[in-house]
Amino acid sequence: MDLILMAVPVLLKGLVMTLTLTATSVAIGFTLGLGLALMRVSNSAIAERIARYYSIMFRGTPLLVQLFLIYYGLGQFSFVQDSTVLWWVFSEGTRCAVLALALNTAAYTSEILRGGLQSVPVGLVEAASAAGMSRVLRFRRIEFPLAIRQALPAYGNELVLVVKGTSLASTITVLEITGYAKRLMSQTFAILEVFALAGVIYLALNVLLIGLLRLVERRLMRHQQR
Amino acid sequence: MKLKILSLVAVLATSALAAHAEGVLSIGTEGEYPPWSMADADGNVTGFDADVGALLCAKLEMECNFVVQAFDGLIPALNANRFDVIISGMSITAERKNEIAFSVGYAEFPNRFVVSADSGLAGITDIPAFLAALDGRKVGTQAATTHANFIAKLAPNAVLLTYASLDQQWIDLASGRIETAFADATADQDFLDRPEGEGFVMSQVTIPSTYDATLGEGIGVGIRQDDTELKARIDQALCELIADGSIGVASEKWFNVDISRPCQ
Repeated sequence: MDLILMAVPVLLKGLVMTLTLTATSVAIGFTLGLGLALMRVSNSAIAERIARYYSIMFRGTPLLVQLFLIYYGLGQFSFVQDSTVLWWVFSEGTRCAVLALALNTAAYTSEILRGGLQSVPVGLVEAASAAGMSRVLRFRRIEFPLAIRQALPAYGNELVLVVKGTSLASTITVLEITGYAKRLMSQTFAILEVFALAGVIYLALNVLLIGLLRLVERRLMRHQQR
Repeated sequence: MKLKILSLVAVLATSALAAHAEGVLSIGTEGEYPPWSMADADGNVTGFDADVGALLCAKLEMECNFVVQAFDGLIPALNANRFDVIISGMSITAERKNEIAFSVGYAEFPNRFVVSADSGLAGITDIPAFLAALDGRKVGTQAATTHANFIAKLAPNAVLLTYASLDQQWIDLASGRIETAFADATADQDFLDRPEGEGFVMSQVTIPSTYDATLGEGIGVGIRQDDTELKARIDQALCELIADGSIGVASEKWFNVDISRPCQ
C-alpha cells in the first residue's frame, strides 16, 4: 500500500509527459499525414512517388530503430550540433521522441487518409464541380468530411498505437510513464506492482481515448441513425 | 490438446533446468561495461568480470556459462532463475540486499565525474562544492546503478538522465546533451582513452565508496537469498583468490591498478 502511494504520483508525472508526447506528435503527424495523403491522390507522379516511398520507409522499419537513428545517429553529426535550430531539436530526448513519433504516425495516417479519400464516390466530386465549387471548397465540403468518416475507425487504432509507442521514448532518457516505472523498479525492485500500475494507467488512457473516438464517430455518422 | 500442453510443460521444464545443470555455473553479466564486462557479437564475454568468473569457476571446479543481460534487469533475472549468480561489477548496497544476497566484497573502486575540459566543474576540488555546482545541470549515469542513486540523493536539484548502457551515456556526453557523467574511475578512463574522449577530463574530486551508503560496500557476486550453500562456497573461493593475488592480477590486467578488496 505504501508502495502504491509512493509510485502513483511518480507515474502520474510520467502520464503528463506521455500525454504531451502523444498530443504534439499526433498534431504534427496528422498535418504531415494529410499532406502526404493528398500527394498520394494527386495527379503529379513525382509527388505520388515521394509520398509512397516515405510511407514504405517509415512503415517498414521499427519505431525503436527510428528513435535510435534520430537520437543517437543524427545527433552525432557536427553539422547538427553546430546548427542552432537543428541542435534545439536534437539536444533533447523529448524533442527527438516527438520527431520520431510524428514522422512515424504521419506515414500510417497518410495511408489511412488516402484510403478514405479514394473511397469518396467520383459522382459526388463531379457533382460538386458541376455546381461550380472550387477545388479547395470541394475538398473542404465534400471530400475531406466523407474521407474522415471512412477513416476514423482505422485512425482511432493508430492513435492508440501512438500512445503505446510513446513508451519507447524511455530508451532515449525521456521520463514518461515507462521511464519512471523503470526508475521505480531499480529503486524498489517491486517490478510486478510498478509495471502493473503503469499498465493500468496506459489502459485507462486508451479506454478513454477509444470512448472519445466513439463519440466523435457517432456524431459524424448521425445521418445513419434511426 | 492434452499432449500439446504436456509437451509444452516438458519444454518449459527443460529450459528452466538448463540454468541448474550440474557442474555448470551460469553467470549473469552486463556485457556493455568496458573494461569490466564486454560481450562480442558471438556472446563471448571478456573483461575483469569474465576473469573473476573464470577464476571462480576454476576454484569451484565448475564450467562457466555467461548470460548477457542489461544491468537494470540483472537482479530480477537472477530471482527468476535465469542464471545462478551475477558477476557484473555490482556494488553491494542495502537496497539490493533486500532482493538478493551478496558474496564477500572482492573489489572496490573510486567514483569520478567526467567533464569537459573547459567546464567550470573541472576545477572544483571539494566534494560538497562539486555536488552543489551540479544544481540545474544535466548529469548522466547508467540506469539502476549506485551512481544514479547517489546523484538522486546527494544532488537532488541536478537533472538526472539515465542510460541503459555506458556507451549511450558517453555518446550523449560527447555530443553535449549532458554536461557531466558519473561512473567508476575505471570506466571513465576507458572513455577518456577513446578518440571521442578528447577534450574531456576526469573531475578533480574523487568520491570513495565510503562517502555515502548509496555507493555500497564494494563489489560482490550476487547470489539468490536461498542459495546459502552456493554463497558459502563462493565466499570461500573468493577469499582464497583474493589472498593468493589472482584477483589482483586480473585487476592489473584490465585497469593497470589493483582494485581487489581484502577478504573481510
